[in-house]
Amino acid sequence: MRVLSWAFQLLVFAVVAAIFFWLWGNFTRNTEASGIPTNFDFLSNPATFSIPGADFSPNEPVRNAYIVGVLNTLRVSVVGSILATILGTLIGIGRLSRNWVVSRLSAVYVELFRNIPLLVLLTFVFLGVVLQVMPSIEVSWNPLDWFVVSNRGIGVPWYDGVTGWSLSLVFTIGVVSWWMIARWRQSVFERTGRPSHAGLLGGSFFVLTLIVGWIVLGGAVSLPAVDGRQIVGGIRIDPSFFAILLALVIYTASHIAEIVRGSIQAVPKGQGEAAAALALTGFQRMWKVILPQAMRIAIPPLGNQYLNLIKNSSLGAGFSYFDITNVTQITVGNGSPAVPAFFLALVFYVVISLITSALVNVANRRFELVER
Amino acid sequence: MTASAPTTLGTGTRAYRWARKNLFRTWLDALLTLFFGGFALYIVVTFLQFVFVTGRWGIIDVNLRLLLVGRWPADELSVIAVAVVVLGLWVGLIAGIVHGRQIRRETSAVASMSMSQRVSDLVRRFGLIFGTVLLLLVLTDTTGPWLMAGATIVAGVGGRILGGIASQMAVPHWFARGALLMMAAVPFALFFFLTGTVPLADWEGFYFNITSAIAGIILCFPLGVLLALARRSKLRLLQGLSVAYIEFVRGAPLFVLLLMANVSLEFFVPASLAPSKTIRAIVVFTIFTGAYLAEIVRGGLQSVPRGQEEAAKSLGLSPTKQMGLIVLPQALRNVIPAQIGQLISLFKDTTLAGLALGILDLLSAAQAITQQEGFRGQGLIVETLVFVGFLFWVGSFTMSRESQRLERKLGVGTR
Amino acid sequence: MTTESQIFADATKTVGEPIIEMERVDKFFGAFQALEGINLKVGRQEVVVVIGPSGSGKSTLIRCINRLEEHDNGRIIVDGIELSGDVRNIQEIRRETGMVFQQFNLFPHLSVIDNVTLAPRQVRRMPKKEAEDQAMEILERVRIPEQARKYPGQLSGGQQQRVAIARSLAMKPKVMLFDEPTSALDPEMINEVLDVMKDLALEGMTMIVVTHEMGFAREVADRVVFMADGQIVEVGTPEHFFTDPQEDRTKLFLSQIL
Repeated sequence: MRVLSWAFQLLVFAVVAAIFFWLWGNFTRNTEASGIPTNFDFLSNPATFSIPGADFSPNEPVRNAYIVGVLNTLRVSVVGSILATILGTLIGIGRLSRNWVVSRLSAVYVELFRNIPLLVLLTFVFLGVVLQVMPSIEVSWNPLDWFVVSNRGIGVPWYDGVTGWSLSLVFTIGVVSWWMIARWRQSVFERTGRPSHAGLLGGSFFVLTLIVGWIVLGGAVSLPAVDGRQIVGGIRIDPSFFAILLALVIYTASHIAEIVRGSIQAVPKGQGEAAAALALTGFQRMWKVILPQAMRIAIPPLGNQYLNLIKNSSLGAGFSYFDITNVTQITVGNGSPAVPAFFLALVFYVVISLITSALVNVANRRFELVER
Repeated sequence: MTASAPTTLGTGTRAYRWARKNLFRTWLDALLTLFFGGFALYIVVTFLQFVFVTGRWGIIDVNLRLLLVGRWPADELSVIAVAVVVLGLWVGLIAGIVHGRQIRRETSAVASMSMSQRVSDLVRRFGLIFGTVLLLLVLTDTTGPWLMAGATIVAGVGGRILGGIASQMAVPHWFARGALLMMAAVPFALFFFLTGTVPLADWEGFYFNITSAIAGIILCFPLGVLLALARRSKLRLLQGLSVAYIEFVRGAPLFVLLLMANVSLEFFVPASLAPSKTIRAIVVFTIFTGAYLAEIVRGGLQSVPRGQEEAAKSLGLSPTKQMGLIVLPQALRNVIPAQIGQLISLFKDTTLAGLALGILDLLSAAQAITQQEGFRGQGLIVETLVFVGFLFWVGSFTMSRESQRLERKLGVGTR
Repeated sequence: MTTESQIFADATKTVGEPIIEMERVDKFFGAFQALEGINLKVGRQEVVVVIGPSGSGKSTLIRCINRLEEHDNGRIIVDGIELSGDVRNIQEIRRETGMVFQQFNLFPHLSVIDNVTLAPRQVRRMPKKEAEDQAMEILERVRIPEQARKYPGQLSGGQQQRVAIARSLAMKPKVMLFDEPTSALDPEMINEVLDVMKDLALEGMTMIVVTHEMGFAREVADRVVFMADGQIVEVGTPEHFFTDPQEDRTKLFLSQIL
């Protein structure tokens, strides 16, 4: 029996290996015949293309273009995950609301966006909204004179006049004082039972520290403005970044909302009843009893959604967002060897996915219930 | 004996009490109701105005055939019509046989319904699709599609009745088996019938999205089951191969895999074997979905109670039979809803093939027609994309509702 | 002069001041009527045991008292406060009534001591130290002080139910509601929970207990309430009730279970 099973395994392995070697043989033969390199030397060649919105010149090596692409993928993924989580949580809780209008509206949102292909949504946002509804730069909208909205980009006010070092110092002071206030309020709560309001007090002190520090350091606000056909000042949000971010957030939020709703409903009804019988208020019931348990249920599927979001961000490549997929496509179009170039991109995605699932596993263990 | 309707907690008409409870329970509630109610009203009015007043739907009307079947030759459209009618008959037959079996086993949900109840049940479940088909029929200006739709309904109803009768007949075992095999062969026969007329490489439009999703989900099935079994087996080598495959594919974006299939497949496969774009897309769909299906099936295998395997063992079944006769059937039954979910997600993802491989699928066609002479530069992309989104939405929404229904029926997740 | 046993045979009378008053209470689940014209008064320090076939509305009855279910008609007054839609009234009544569930419903993500101190700290705004000292005291009363740092998942059913009782007691309630507290327990664990409940009764706690434990009813109850089809069929002292039932439904029920 043992021998048989090993023989079977070896057979399967041999077949897989044979296919692999056949493919590899074809690959080496074909690339040799056409003189295409199979190594990663192309990374040192000049990129010969520019990346709008990034500090990148066409003379820099392809390697640097990859780095810009990786950073852009991470940027849209991180911002998108945070925004999608916030929106999705609100909608998921909204679906459970006793208010009929709110729960219906949330349900419609979920059923609408969950069942439309992301690419259709993205195309709509980019071609239909950004390029059509948003005005051209000459007639841009300037709400409050603080923003510039045009199809060349969106200008948003940003800080100015403060160097990175002093700003991070102020930031650190703010964070530390927030933490200390939270500790202090927690101990007051434990000693006297008075409500701690740790988040409220600490948070406002943090904001206050930032504002005061920034004024003391002589900081200023840079407002965006239109200069010819350019947006100057403030910070410019690239239209393609805006489009891919918006589409990803709208789409992913619809999935996260379902996860949030499902996890809250999966907490046994008796938990809420026991909390109610102990005279906990609605907010306390949710915050102290239901949510901690719902979170545990929600973590694995939420992790999956973040993974999906990262992978889906590759669609931005089709709409001139310079993520790693787009950089790969362009450099291949400019003569870099296709197989190693795409291999790099794939490895990046797989590694990111593995890291994310590892993080999810850690979080999962952290929230695991203690059982016998 | 019977007490009157509740009186002490709330007065006034039913509607008033309902509104008081669901819309204006507290001040915050009232505020939310007014704010979001106004918002919803604005959206609905704007949307209705767009659909019925401001929308310029002429572009859809003119290009309907291009959107649905791409550049399929006009004089060969009858082939599709025949296939659809046969498919209607096939679905009807299966529904009839399944229903007959359910009646015999007394598990039928509709056996106790009257004819009108059955029709209204069907309309509630698939009304959106019927309505959409009707809308498309109205948009056409030839009689062919109408004939096809009529014939399909006749074939479907006929098949349903025939199937019902057939399932009540006592037939020899070998005959039933043969008939079943023939039924299973029908989709493949239809496939060859269609490729015989127009090669797979030229399948386009919504037709591509639908067929490639179905092909992908059917083809990935054996792959997914094998991977799941390998991942669960005690054979380390097999397990390792399976885990590596699953994790690698699940870590990669479908879009990047499609791009790779587009530019780098030539290097790995001899030129004579290098397939057309459509086949490449279907192969990538299969490889990709197989990894996800494997995880679904693995979950299903885990959901079968240990006692089942132990009971099979105690009956003296061999390991293969334990798996094939006892565990796997239950596992696959439990994961049907998740499999439908995978089909939905693949159905939506078929749009990526348009962008990555340049196949003229529904979405690409919708973008392309806005560049036509006479339509260019008028911002018609909104109209075409709403139409495209609507078609995908109807399909996905109906499927997801059916899968939820099935989930409730199977009692998955209620334990 | 009415005797005490006559008072106990009348659901609308109590010895001394009543703490719970239910008047003509109806409860509907859709078209199904779960409670029908319930009249019941419970005096201070009284132990009322509610029995009856399943689906007779016993659980619904006590769940209406702390508003886990909303009654549709009639009045419910607990310690002088009438239950209405007003959230403040509901909260006040819930602070005065503890409830023990069939399925324990302990919070699995909190340790035993945190389960017991949660409500006193959140609702009564008790300092942590004080709440924990009190919790240890109560855990000692229910005889499991050594389990304080464990999690519910690590305890046996009987231990969990005793923690649940401790959790309710920590709010210093005036009334304790027990909803089939031993029905989900293995037989060998039933007594450890019943013993704790007997102690409570001896200490003078007002209790309403829904149970199938006839021994407990006989031994501890001041009055037994028999319910069927959402109505109170018969009320009486245990000796009266078990030895000389008046109604046919009661006789039938008793013959089936004894």
